[in-house]
Amino acid sequence: MRFSLDWLGDFVDVAAAGGVAGIRKRLDQGGIPVESTEASGSDTILEAEITPNRPDAMGHRGLAREIAAMSGVPMKDFAGRYAEPPSDGDSTEHLTSIVIQVPKLCRRFGARLVRGIEDRSSTDLVRRRLGSIGAKLISPAVDATNYVLWDTSQPLHAFDFDKLAGGLLIVRKARKGERLVTLDEIERVLEPSDIVVADAERAVSLAGIMGGFDTAVTAKTRNVLLEAAWWDPVTIRRTARRLSMHTDASHRFERSADLDAIPGALNLAARLLLEAAGGMVAPGLLDAHGSPFRVRRTAIRLSRLRVLSGDNRLDLDFAGEALQRLGFTAERKGKRLSVSIPLFRTDVRREDDLVEEVLRVYGYDRLPSRLPAASSAGNFREPLHRVEDRLSDLAAAAGLFETVNYPFVDRDTQEAAFGDWLRLTETAFEPLAILNPLDASRRHLRATLLPGLLDAVSRNLRHGAAGVALFEVGRAFGERGEPDKPESYESRRFAFALAGEQRPHWSLPEKLREADFFDAKGFLERLLEPWVASEEMVWKPALIQAFTPGASAIVETRSGRLLSVVGLVGGTERQKRGLPGNVFAGEIVVGAIPIETRPFHFREYSSLPAITADLSFAQSKEISWEKLEEFVRSRRMPNLESLRCLDRYEGAEMPPGEVKTTIRLTFRSSERTLEQEEVNREVERLAEELRTRLGVTIG
Amino acid sequence: MPDNSADDSIARVLAQFREEIDRGVSSRSEFERVKGRYLGREKGLVPRLFAQLKSLPAGERAAFGARANEAKTAIEETIGRLANDIEYREEESRDRAAAVDVTLPGRRVRSGGLHPITIVRRRIEDIFLRMGYSIADGPEVENDFHNFEALNFPPDHPARDTQDTLLLDRKARSPLLLRTHTSPVQIREMRRHGAPLRIIVPGRVYRKDEVDATHSPVFHQVEGFVVDHGISMADLKGTVTAFLEELFGAGTKTRFIPTFFPFVEPGVDVAMSCIFCKGSGCPKCKGSGWIEIMGAGMVHPKVLQGMAIDPEEYTGFAFGLGIDRVALLRFGFPDLRLLFEGDERFLRQFAGEP
Repeated sequence: MRFSLDWLGDFVDVAAAGGVAGIRKRLDQGGIPVESTEASGSDTILEAEITPNRPDAMGHRGLAREIAAMSGVPMKDFAGRYAEPPSDGDSTEHLTSIVIQVPKLCRRFGARLVRGIEDRSSTDLVRRRLGSIGAKLISPAVDATNYVLWDTSQPLHAFDFDKLAGGLLIVRKARKGERLVTLDEIERVLEPSDIVVADAERAVSLAGIMGGFDTAVTAKTRNVLLEAAWWDPVTIRRTARRLSMHTDASHRFERSADLDAIPGALNLAARLLLEAAGGMVAPGLLDAHGSPFRVRRTAIRLSRLRVLSGDNRLDLDFAGEALQRLGFTAERKGKRLSVSIPLFRTDVRREDDLVEEVLRVYGYDRLPSRLPAASSAGNFREPLHRVEDRLSDLAAAAGLFETVNYPFVDRDTQEAAFGDWLRLTETAFEPLAILNPLDASRRHLRATLLPGLLDAVSRNLRHGAAGVALFEVGRAFGERGEPDKPESYESRRFAFALAGEQRPHWSLPEKLREADFFDAKGFLERLLEPWVASEEMVWKPALIQAFTPGASAIVETRSGRLLSVVGLVGGTERQKRGLPGNVFAGEIVVGAIPIETRPFHFREYSSLPAITADLSFAQSKEISWEKLEEFVRSRRMPNLESLRCLDRYEGAEMPPGEVKTTIRLTFRSSERTLEQEEVNREVERLAEELRTRLGVTIG
Repeated sequence: MPDNSADDSIARVLAQFREEIDRGVSSRSEFERVKGRYLGREKGLVPRLFAQLKSLPAGERAAFGARANEAKTAIEETIGRLANDIEYREEESRDRAAAVDVTLPGRRVRSGGLHPITIVRRRIEDIFLRMGYSIADGPEVENDFHNFEALNFPPDHPARDTQDTLLLDRKARSPLLLRTHTSPVQIREMRRHGAPLRIIVPGRVYRKDEVDATHSPVFHQVEGFVVDHGISMADLKGTVTAFLEELFGAGTKTRFIPTFFPFVEPGVDVAMSCIFCKGSGCPKCKGSGWIEIMGAGMVHPKVLQGMAIDPEEYTGFAFGLGIDRVALLRFGFPDLRLLFEGDERFLRQFAGEP
């Protein structure tokens, strides 16, 4: 908000307060930061940021009070400014009347009449000051109301009195469907939750927000009815929001206005209008009251002041002085002050609010600084938070870069690509939608991290990267939640993607530089190793839209807990996302990982020599490695230490549907050195069993 | 002339051997052939000389034997020397084969890295873990109660305007939304554990902000929250100052000015001396020498009361800062959007950061 130094000078000696630099420092100390200052003729304009709790400081009088309190310079006596203006003729009471039908929503409504004005322009002072803070100049009547708004922070409205049917005002609820054309010439359709000011026939103003067009002051207006009132903040806010209106008036009423400001504001406005446009002010002020209001009192204890501040140098003398400077009245009662809160300080209610007021004047920078003593054990971390950090460390060590992607997606696109995965993970059968999205084409929350990650991969490749390896840790959102447990909508995920060259070395043939399924699988096994041994994982072919069938898998624990999906992103999906080459991606359901790492215990190992034996055979591709391994292990060969797949060969000379597998068996005993012959016998028996039971061709 | 013929046989073998050696033995196979021909156990020419002993008259045997032994020693010596030569030459050629262009690129173990936000978050966590804090966590989907009401943002209060909220379309007793700050976790932790509490809450938060260089609808905060007997503004100041010195280096100055947040009273804006100009004023701090870095304050008594904690017995402080902004200040990149683009050229710049 813009404030004029000249105008502030009406209320406080700005030179004594330190001039522009001093005021700036004082207001900073008080919590009203001055963003900038600029010269405007002989005046200086201050751009200050007023927090929403301080509607009283949204006018020059209120801001000046802050400057005075913070600097200790007294406020000038400005009582005359708001005193009854010279008046003449019939009294206001005689000429018009006010009826408040909604006393709780309008606790005070004041009005003054200025009659017989001429079509002139505002005084130089008003023109200059409104001009300097950037307010538009309209007519003496409207300018007078705006001037008072920026002076006292009290919004006013001016009616053309002659256009008010019956010459009276009624404050009431709007009727359902009632229409009112407001000053901006837009027809508003009203609801009974809105308050209007009406004449004998119709609504003439949308209370606290904007006046009506039909009864507005024009060049032809001779008799002006000035209105100043207090409106219920919540009602004003709801109406303003519903109608998407935000005015200087609604801004202040929403934040609660000063019940005390009304008479003075009307007096000042009437005098300004009189000075500018002549005519005569009708004697007396109409001051209708709704629900009663009174000055609130509360106490501030020395003990509370010291506990909250941590400063034992503070005392009640200082507190009383500080509060008085801010417009409170404080009375000492033993170890406390009994304080009455001025009506303009709608934000101050309780003791701690008073503590803040005292400390603002004292200056936060003067408070001591120390570290609190610990009374509880610390260093506890949310277990899943630890799991996430560990996964990230493993991934970064494996050469992947962490990304953070926006979680906004289009539901249909997500469903088309990952629907089957979402169904498996029970998240987001129907994703959560945002009611007021930033981008209407991405109004749903992701139910998997994969789309966002694949988009990041695509961006990298488009920028010319030959290969990229990325991961993300974050949350996916789903439907399975219970509305009253917001936390139940989330599922923690870890997603990764490997695309293009992963081993970009000149010594390797091009094919070996690129990621393949076994890179992704090996990476996943390494990631989960702290919690789930690779022997404990079950790999099953996956059928998920975005992945290539036959080159993707679902990973479960032996007990059937779904851990992850991993695989080659399919052609359609790659095309859709602009991914030129092969991309292998996966997503882990972090919540499915056991929180405790698996036990790591020492196991004795043999110091005796091992004997290895390789066995080659042609087999049908239908026999999976898992099945083969299971078969070999189920033979329970004595002293078999390990079994590994040594080689797989699918050359042109192999019959279709067949592959040549070489396995390496390692035998070792912990008790004796094995004989080659006994190993040979075992391997021969195994070869025979493989031949007869699995139909492989040995050799 | 058995003597002569016997003598001759030794001389012949020696001569033949020398001739062959003089012709040169260049490969291991040639060497093995030569070695076999002369020293081979059964058919070797040298053992055959000794076989002649039996057919010699007893008187000549000793002399012949001595000469044969001499010849054998000579041949063995030469063979031994040749073996060394061959070995040496083989080593040499093996070494030659192992030679590489040492200027060619090495096969490096690929290194990845954590996101700058994670790097900063963990640094902040480390600082507070050392100060005895615990790390708490909460959901990103929240309800109005935790995000606003329990934090003293009454319904229809203008303070809500300062946090433009993304609302969710589910019917719930308390409307669902994406949390606009990490403060709802204060409420959850008080409900779970009561007082005393000493936690930080890092996390992702959401606001309805259009994306630009300094705004993002998704960003990250760390909330600090301490409730205990006799906690004061002095404790808040000391904690925040110690933290900022740890994070931005000793000599970082702090300034505390009043402000308004509904869930604290008194409310505090914390500024720190500009890390770019050390407080002398530069474009980054708009000439003020100060950078606003966090919001803070004493926990509002209503917030404590709402969670059944007696504000007469316990007091507390809370503070919150934006991780993204700290990352931006610390790493000196110009635009928040870089954090969310996932460009490896950006991400790899921080990979070495511990």
